Amino acid sequence: MRLIIDRYAYLDSLIHRWQQKYKLVGLISLIFAFSFVQKITLLPVIVVITTVIFCLSNLPLSFLLSRLRYPGWFILAVVILLPFVAGDTIIFQWGWLTLKEEGCWTSILISVRFFCILTISLVLFGTAPFLTSIKAMRSLGLPQVIVDMTLLAYRYLEELGNMLTTMQRAIRLRGFRYQQFSRRNLKILAQLTGSLLVRSYERSNKVYQAMILRGYGYKIPQIDRQQKNRLSQLDKLNFLATSATVIIAISLTIAEILLPAN
Amino acid sequence: MKELTRSSRLIKLQTPAVTISNLGFAYTESKNTLTDINLQISAGESVGLIGANGAGKTTLFLTICGILTPTYGEIKLFEKLVQPGIFNPDIGLVFQNPDDQLLCPRVRDDIAFGPENMGLSAEEVDKRVCVALSFTGISHLIDRVPHHLSGGEKCMVAIASVLAMLPQIILYDEPSANLDLRARRRLIKFLQTAPETTIISSHDLEMLLEVCDRVILLNQGRIVADGIPQNIMSDRILMEANGLEVPHSLTHHH
Amino acid sequence: MHIPDGFVPPSICIAGYAITGGVTWYSLQQIKKDSNPQKKIPRASLFTAAFFVASLIHIPLPPASIHLVLNGMMGAILGYYSFLAILIGLFFQTVMFQHGGLSTLGINAVIMGIPALFAYHIFHFNNRSNTRKKIWTQVLAFCAGAGSLILSATLFTVIIITNITSELDAQTEINAIYLSLISYVIQAIIEGAFTVMLISFLEQVKPEILRQ
Repeated sequence: MRLIIDRYAYLDSLIHRWQQKYKLVGLISLIFAFSFVQKITLLPVIVVITTVIFCLSNLPLSFLLSRLRYPGWFILAVVILLPFVAGDTIIFQWGWLTLKEEGCWTSILISVRFFCILTISLVLFGTAPFLTSIKAMRSLGLPQVIVDMTLLAYRYLEELGNMLTTMQRAIRLRGFRYQQFSRRNLKILAQLTGSLLVRSYERSNKVYQAMILRGYGYKIPQIDRQQKNRLSQLDKLNFLATSATVIIAISLTIAEILLPAN
Repeated sequence: MKELTRSSRLIKLQTPAVTISNLGFAYTESKNTLTDINLQISAGESVGLIGANGAGKTTLFLTICGILTPTYGEIKLFEKLVQPGIFNPDIGLVFQNPDDQLLCPRVRDDIAFGPENMGLSAEEVDKRVCVALSFTGISHLIDRVPHHLSGGEKCMVAIASVLAMLPQIILYDEPSANLDLRARRRLIKFLQTAPETTIISSHDLEMLLEVCDRVILLNQGRIVADGIPQNIMSDRILMEANGLEVPHSLTHHH
Repeated sequence: MHIPDGFVPPSICIAGYAITGGVTWYSLQQIKKDSNPQKKIPRASLFTAAFFVASLIHIPLPPASIHLVLNGMMGAILGYYSFLAILIGLFFQTVMFQHGGLSTLGINAVIMGIPALFAYHIFHFNNRSNTRKKIWTQVLAFCAGAGSLILSATLFTVIIITNITSELDAQTEINAIYLSLISYVIQAIIEGAFTVMLISFLEQVKPEILRQ
């Protein structure tokens, strides 16, 4: 489950070479600028920006398409429903079914924004190993407790996922049928979840002991980290890429404010 | 239970319990985990499955009991084709880690879990629980919490929870891993008298020597050798070529 | 029950991040008061992973199936760590499954995390004395599980329907909110029952998980 996102993290491209810390600043400001867009006239602009960034990243298109599968039904439902319920200007009527102009525009706006932000997020987290991204967030000031929890949780995701798969196999081999809903089945699934929690709890006690024995909680590593930060240089590529995206993001926001309403 | 299956064992001695023909399995398209497996195991046989880590032992088990669907080939249990995903109480798998198997708050409930799923009456379920517990020698644990037991006790509870379904074939995945000497000895005694057709995958070669009358050596998803345990395990060249060692007890004989 | 990117105006996204920032800070302050916060971090982290994995279990409800949210349960056993755990879980979901979104991470954490803190206080109400009766624990467990789901569902539905477009008239909005909530009531009952069963399992097997 966790390795999918790292699949293309080691390619070589302009975006891959962009240091993750600065990439986070640049692309997140772009994401926020995109979510600011309310004017239809700006949609082609954000599509072009997204396309350029995606092409620069060298990520295969199939990767993007496979990722689009997940968000799924909710978005589809909203996008299909809106043209029929929102707005006053009727462009098509068929019995009680009325297609409304404002609803159509809202649907287009939402889906384009959604698609562009999703693509940029994929570029952001798909072009560097996930652990590098978390470390970059730490250098941007994410609290230590959250960083530690994220790293540890990430470390154990796959293991606990496998644990659950094996336990599900074991109950299936003893005749448990998933398809039915009954009080008993709900109880079995609660016990399954409970066993997972108990095993995680027991494991966490061992993890803690192992961490303490290797010096977890001492303050020394903090100094190390600061030195590393100072050493990391803001070279030409990082500077250019980051300032360019931030400027684009700011211009988009200004354009959104200055442009006349639709 | 023991008497019942023993008498049927005599009748079935020549009937094949497991027939695997031309079986292959691949997790990803590029690499086969199991390749061209052909195997026949008679009812009542006790077979050891050996091989280095990653040889495909667990995968073979999961395909035999219908959890994984073979990429090609077929598996028959008592001449009935295995249908992946369909519950078959005739075959049981004891997982390597008993924690994977035990999920109820009481030992009793855990052992009753399989029989209840088979749709048996409450009295029949109770009877099976008692028989399975006494057969594994852990009747005193009936009201304990499985998660609080020792490794050896958990192992026996996991075995009892499979036995309660009265399967004709039982697959044991590394049953002696993490057991102390006494628990291991108790397990060996138990396996020696178990009447079912058993396949035991293990790195504990000494145990297999005591328990099995046949051993199969697996390497990179292929069967490399199949025969009498003493003959295969004492073949130093064969064993070392497949990432194993001749067990200590066999080196002393020479 | 996650708001995807691009669905709500930026003011909501920013407000979401602001509230999440505030609650995170408050949670961290509460955690620091603990006698040995270092010890609880591995525990909270593994529970974060475990709950993330457990939310993949689907409960069959023919003809469909539902996924458990379990934010009430997280609140009950993780206390103030639950908000952080939910924030991290949502982040994983965004990055790995494209569920939710980066711009809406803040608002989604509010939707899921604040009800978890509510569940924490509900479940540990009157828990200090060991004399609490079993039935009382069950009632509180149900309220924590079902209540936090209803609270999350209400927040989610209201935010989505009132913000998705300015073109809906007020009456349609109210109707849509009611309609969505009815379907969530069934899920809340299942979630509540599930929480009761889960808590009673833990009471029997590992009660120290439930004691802070």
